[in-house]
Amino acid sequence: MKKQVSAILAASMAASMLVACGGSTSSAATSTATAESTSTASSEAAPAESTADAGQAADITLWTYPIGKWGDSESVDALLADFNAQYPDIHVTVEYLDYTNGDDQVNTAIEGGSAPDIVMEGPERLVANWGAKGLMADLSDLWTDDQKADISASVEAACKDSSGAYYEFPLCMTAHCMAINKTVFEAAGAMQYVDAENHTWTTDNFLKAVQAVYDSGKTDVGAIYCSGQGGDQGTRAIINNMYGGTFTDAAHTKYTADSAENVKAIETLYNQDGINFDASINGGEEITLFRNGTLQMAFCWNIAQQTNADNSAAGTTNSGDDILFMAFPTESGDPALCGGIWGFGVFDNGDENKIAASKTFINFMANSDETAKAVKTSTYFSVKNSLSDLYKDDEVMNEYQKLMPYLGDYYQVTPGWAEARTAWWNMLQQVGQGTDVTTAVTEFCNTANAAASAS
Amino acid sequence: MAHTAVAKKQSEPKMSRALVRQETIAGYLFLLPSLIFFIGFVIYPMVMCIFTSFFDSSMNRADVFIGLQNYVELFHDSVFLGALRNTLIIVVVSVPITCIFSLWVASAIVNMPPWATSLFRVIFYLPVVTGSVAVTVVWKWMFNNYYGIFNYLGKSMGLLDQNINWLGDTRYALACIILILLTTSVGQPIVLYVSALGNVDQSLVEAAEVDGATKLQAFWKIKWPQIMPTTLYILVITTINSFQCFALIQLLTSGGPNHSTDTIMYYIYYTAFKLYRYGYGNAMGVILAIMIAVLSAVQFKVTRSD
Repeated sequence: MKKQVSAILAASMAASMLVACGGSTSSAATSTATAESTSTASSEAAPAESTADAGQAADITLWTYPIGKWGDSESVDALLADFNAQYPDIHVTVEYLDYTNGDDQVNTAIEGGSAPDIVMEGPERLVANWGAKGLMADLSDLWTDDQKADISASVEAACKDSSGAYYEFPLCMTAHCMAINKTVFEAAGAMQYVDAENHTWTTDNFLKAVQAVYDSGKTDVGAIYCSGQGGDQGTRAIINNMYGGTFTDAAHTKYTADSAENVKAIETLYNQDGINFDASINGGEEITLFRNGTLQMAFCWNIAQQTNADNSAAGTTNSGDDILFMAFPTESGDPALCGGIWGFGVFDNGDENKIAASKTFINFMANSDETAKAVKTSTYFSVKNSLSDLYKDDEVMNEYQKLMPYLGDYYQVTPGWAEARTAWWNMLQQVGQGTDVTTAVTEFCNTANAAASAS
Repeated sequence: MAHTAVAKKQSEPKMSRALVRQETIAGYLFLLPSLIFFIGFVIYPMVMCIFTSFFDSSMNRADVFIGLQNYVELFHDSVFLGALRNTLIIVVVSVPITCIFSLWVASAIVNMPPWATSLFRVIFYLPVVTGSVAVTVVWKWMFNNYYGIFNYLGKSMGLLDQNINWLGDTRYALACIILILLTTSVGQPIVLYVSALGNVDQSLVEAAEVDGATKLQAFWKIKWPQIMPTTLYILVITTINSFQCFALIQLLTSGGPNHSTDTIMYYIYYTAFKLYRYGYGNAMGVILAIMIAVLSAVQFKVTRSD
């Protein structure tokens, strides 16, 4: 009897293995709770001014990823209160996503026919993913000539697909960069290689600076982190910038990381004293190691890191060393930084009234007097040239603005992006384990381009 | 009076049947919530898993029937084959070590004073009840390339010339995973073995010893057969847990470096929830379930013949 019971138990356990990979609908389900808030201001606030759209009445949903304080209900509620003061009949329910489970939540909702009306994120999701699958409403009518004149061509290009349909209306952006421990660099005599005023340096000077810091006794200068995809824009950027390589072609149809320039950059980094290809850390962990003084430079950095004051004063390491943000080194002196562009997309749920109300919401947030407040809520920079002085009273933000002209091609919209990201850090791991660089990057491109072709 | 008694006797079976029916219905009603849950969340997904494994099933796209193509692709997928090899290494190494170590510890502590037995049970069981994420993060710190305690101790004692990137080097990463898995796996078997050894009939052991049996003979001929059901249970549970090794990989290495710690469970997760290739992921799930079922059957067969 005991054996029969044991047999049944074993069979049940074996069967339960299958449960984890059920059908497509159930498998994407997530148990992660989402914070939810509903704007209640609509019933209380009187409309401040009436417009032609003010008569719209709709209940719409906004799902937002944690883009600065757009992930904070208090901040978003303040924006919604302003919105409802003008549009009292449009009720916006907000759900806050995180980057760990957010995609699963959205995809589950899509599969279940309950996608949100508005989603706030970047072109790699809104355009290259959901837009390419025909799930998004075209926002061309929001892209008036005035808007196009006020927003850079590269940002505009990222927000539309090859057919010219716009699936994102952008609100804010930032440039990802790197950072150095200025105090350590000074002690090592390495600041002579750095243009601290413009936050730039040449590839040659970058390598000299790393060597100088290494020779000063700080043997862990930087890490090409590759345990996962977290912060992978940093490793792509350092490699692409050093000798002018590219990650994809200009048309965003194929991956070009196997170019001679990229191979040279990877080989140079691999052979450089003080630079370690580390498969045990990701971008977030690299930042931690940089902040605690273990590493002397971070390739995963942006304005949010520069202004972070969780463990020490903003712009300093945990031990009080000064942090200087830097563009990635190039031979030409003209870096191409990876950018983040965040804005709104509208799911085409078949309800024209809701789509119209969603566009009204987007217009209010991204194209009105409220836009400055909405951008500041993101803690990043406006995509609009007319709002370039948004942070004129903030010294750090104003200084960081110097990097914004270096924003490069937004190649994250290339098909097969998810597979390419994974193949990238796997390629770096291979290099770190001693695989020939040309072999590794060729394999990377084969994998990524196969995924691009299949998409 | 007699008439009433007869009538009562005649009505008894009828009432009994009604009562049985009532109890049966009540029983099923009590069972119903669990049954609905079991069918909805176990049986249905299981059937869907097998069904979907024959389709090219991806997010936001109509499924396309492709027959056995997912299964054919699996056995040409070098990453899957690597994950299969790693999974088998984990099982082959961790299951015997877990069982033998647990039995050894349990044998050592079972005859101690009750307070000492309880103390050791608590010590070995702590990693089981501690949150797996917390345990894993602590291990990650200890293995850290830059400031981990293993590198510190190794260099302090002159065993290491330079830091070892334990989790970032293909030579060490899988061994580190197995070591962590062992520490979190032995708690429950030790508790079970202590309980099983405590239930062994001591009069038989004493009789054997009086007859001249050695300690080893007494263990092998008397205790071992009596703890066999427990051993079988531990073997099956440990095997399944080893096959299902996922959280450690997800939290520590993401399958790296260079796929050296990929396991089937992690690769299923990656394929299904990162690449959204449900059909392919489900095919892997089916293969894994078959492997576990076969191995469990072998374990039953071997231990039964014992």
